[in-house]
Amino acid sequence: MRHAALATGAAVVVGWPWAAPRYFVFLASLIAINAIVAIGLNLLSGYTNQLSFGHAGFLAIGAYAAAILTIRAPALPVPAALLLAGLVTAAVGLALGVPCLRLEGLYLAMATLAFGFVVVEAILNLDWLTRGNDGLRVPAARLGPWTLATDTARYYLVVTVAALLIVAAVNITRTRTGRALLAIRESEIAAQASGINLAAYKTLAFVVSAFYTGVAGGLFALVVGFLSPDSFDVFLSVDFVAMIIVGGLGSILGSVVGAALITTLNDSLAGFQNYRPLIFGAILIASMLFMPGGIARALGTIVRPARAAAPPEPPRQGEDR
Amino acid sequence: MTWAALVHVVISGLATGSIYALMAISLVIIYNATRTLNFAQGEMLMVSTFVGWTALQVLDVPLVGALLVAVVASALLGFVLERVVIRHAISATHFDVLIITLGLSLMLRSAAGVAWTHDEFPFPAFFGNRPLVVGPVRVAPVSLGIIGASLALMLALGALFRWTRLGRAMRAVAQNQRAARLMGISVERVYSSSWVIASVVGAVAGVLIAPVIFLSSKMGLVAINGFTAAVLGGFGSMPGAVLGGMLLGVLENLAPLYLPASIKHSVPFLTMITILIVRPGGVLGRVARRKV
Repeated sequence: MRHAALATGAAVVVGWPWAAPRYFVFLASLIAINAIVAIGLNLLSGYTNQLSFGHAGFLAIGAYAAAILTIRAPALPVPAALLLAGLVTAAVGLALGVPCLRLEGLYLAMATLAFGFVVVEAILNLDWLTRGNDGLRVPAARLGPWTLATDTARYYLVVTVAALLIVAAVNITRTRTGRALLAIRESEIAAQASGINLAAYKTLAFVVSAFYTGVAGGLFALVVGFLSPDSFDVFLSVDFVAMIIVGGLGSILGSVVGAALITTLNDSLAGFQNYRPLIFGAILIASMLFMPGGIARALGTIVRPARAAAPPEPPRQGEDR
Repeated sequence: MTWAALVHVVISGLATGSIYALMAISLVIIYNATRTLNFAQGEMLMVSTFVGWTALQVLDVPLVGALLVAVVASALLGFVLERVVIRHAISATHFDVLIITLGLSLMLRSAAGVAWTHDEFPFPAFFGNRPLVVGPVRVAPVSLGIIGASLALMLALGALFRWTRLGRAMRAVAQNQRAARLMGISVERVYSSSWVIASVVGAVAGVLIAPVIFLSSKMGLVAINGFTAAVLGGFGSMPGAVLGGMLLGVLENLAPLYLPASIKHSVPFLTMITILIVRPGGVLGRVARRKV
C-alpha cells in the first residue's frame, strides 16, 4: 500500500513536465522549493518547538549567495553552488542560533522576525554586492556540458534536490537525533534529564534548518531568475509558518502537503491581492482552532505517514511561573 | 551639532518613544493576563483609528468625538476578539495563540484595506505644528502634546493597577494564575478586561500618532517597535515598557546623526536582537531562570 502510493507519487512527479503546461511546471518547481523550506522550518519549529518568523531571511541569504556565486564564477557547477549557498546560510544560522539558545517561545519568534527585517535592510544597503533595489539578474545555471535554460530542466533539478533532502530529513527524524529533537519539543527539562545536550541539539536544529532553507534559496534564484529584496519580506516568512501549521507540525509529509497547498493557493489568489491575507489569516486561525495537528494528523488515521504522526499535546506553558 | 538642535532631536525622539511605550504597555497588559504576545495589537490600533477617522468624515464630529469613537470601537473589538477567538485557544500552548493573533493581524489589515483602501490619509492633530521657540530651542507642540497625553494616560493606568480592585486582580493573575483563581479572582474577567484596556491604550496611541505618520493600513507596524520597547525594558514590567519606549524613540532619532542615515529603519530590529542576545531580561529586568 505504502510502496504503491510512493511509486505513483514518483511517477507523477517524473511525468509532470510531459503532461502539464509550462506554467504549471514552473509552479511545481516553486512548490518543491517551498517544500524544502517547510521541511527545514518544521525540523526547527515542529520538532524542536523553536518558532521562527525569519526564514524568508535565510531564503534570501541562500538565494543571493547562489546568484552571486553563479555570476562571479560562471564555471561553477550547480550542485557546488547550491551546496555553498546552503553552507553560507547554515553558517549564518549558526551565528544566529547560538545566541538565540538563551531565548524561548515569544522571544525567539521576535528575534527571528527582527532577523528577517535586518536581512532585507542589509540587502538594500550592500548594493555593491546585491545591486540593492534594482535587483539581481541570475544567469542560467550550468551542469557539466548542459545549461539549464528551460523550465523543464530546472524542474528536474529542483525535484531531484528536493527528493534528496526529503529522504535525508526522514532519516534524520528517525535517528537518535530526531528523537532527541522531539524530546526537546515535548519537554526541555525532561529531555535534559535524559541526558540530551539541549544546547547542541537546538543549535543543530537551527543549522540544519538554515542549510535546507539556503539550498532552497539557491534553487529559488535559479528558477525565478531575478532577485530583489522585496521578494523576501516578512509575509513570506508568515507563508512558511502557515505551510507547516496547515500541513502539520512535526511531520515531513505534512510539510510537503502544506507547501503544495499554500503555494497553489497563493498562486490562484494572485488576482485577488486584497483578499489574500484575509483568507490566509482565516486559514491560520481555523487550523489552530479546529485542526491543531494540521493535515498530517487529520490524515494520520488513514495513511499513517510518519511515526511522529500524533504526538501528545504539549502541556500548557506559562501556567505557573 | 549644537545643543539646541540636539534637544530638538531628543524631544521628538521622546514623542515617538511615548507612542512606542503605549504600544509596549498594551502588549504587556495582554501578555501578563494571557501569557501570549498579541501580534494583532498594531492592526487593532489601526482599525480603531480608521473608525475614529470615519466618524470624523461622515458624522463630522469634533476631534475629541473621533477619539471617543475610536476608544469605544477598539474596546468593543478587543472584547469581541478575546471572547470569540482567543478564549477558545487559551488552554492551548502559547505557540497556538501566537499563530492565532498572527492570523487576526493578517485579517484585520486586509479587511481594513478592503474597507478603507491601502492609501495614506492625513489625520487632524490636537496640537498645532508651528514650532514653539524657547530661547534657542525650537520644539514642535505636537511632540510636547504626544508626550504629555501619553504621560497622563500612563499615570492613569498606574493608578488603575495600583489602587483599584480590577488592577489588583490583574497584578495577581500576572504573578500566578492558579493562585489568583484559588483566591476567588475571576481569571476570565481579567482576560476580558486586559484585552479591553490594552485595546483602549492602543486606540489612544493610534489617534496621537496618526497625524505624524499618516493614517494607513500599514500603521500597525508600529507594534513591532512596541515589542522592542517592551523587551528593552524587560518584558512584563510596566515601568520597563515606558523606559524602553522612551529609550528606543531617542535612540532611533539619534542614530542617524552618528551612523549612516539608512540605519534608521534597522535601529529597532538591531536593538531588539542585541538586547535579546546580550540581556534578555531587559535593561531593568532580571534574567528569569525557570527552575525545576
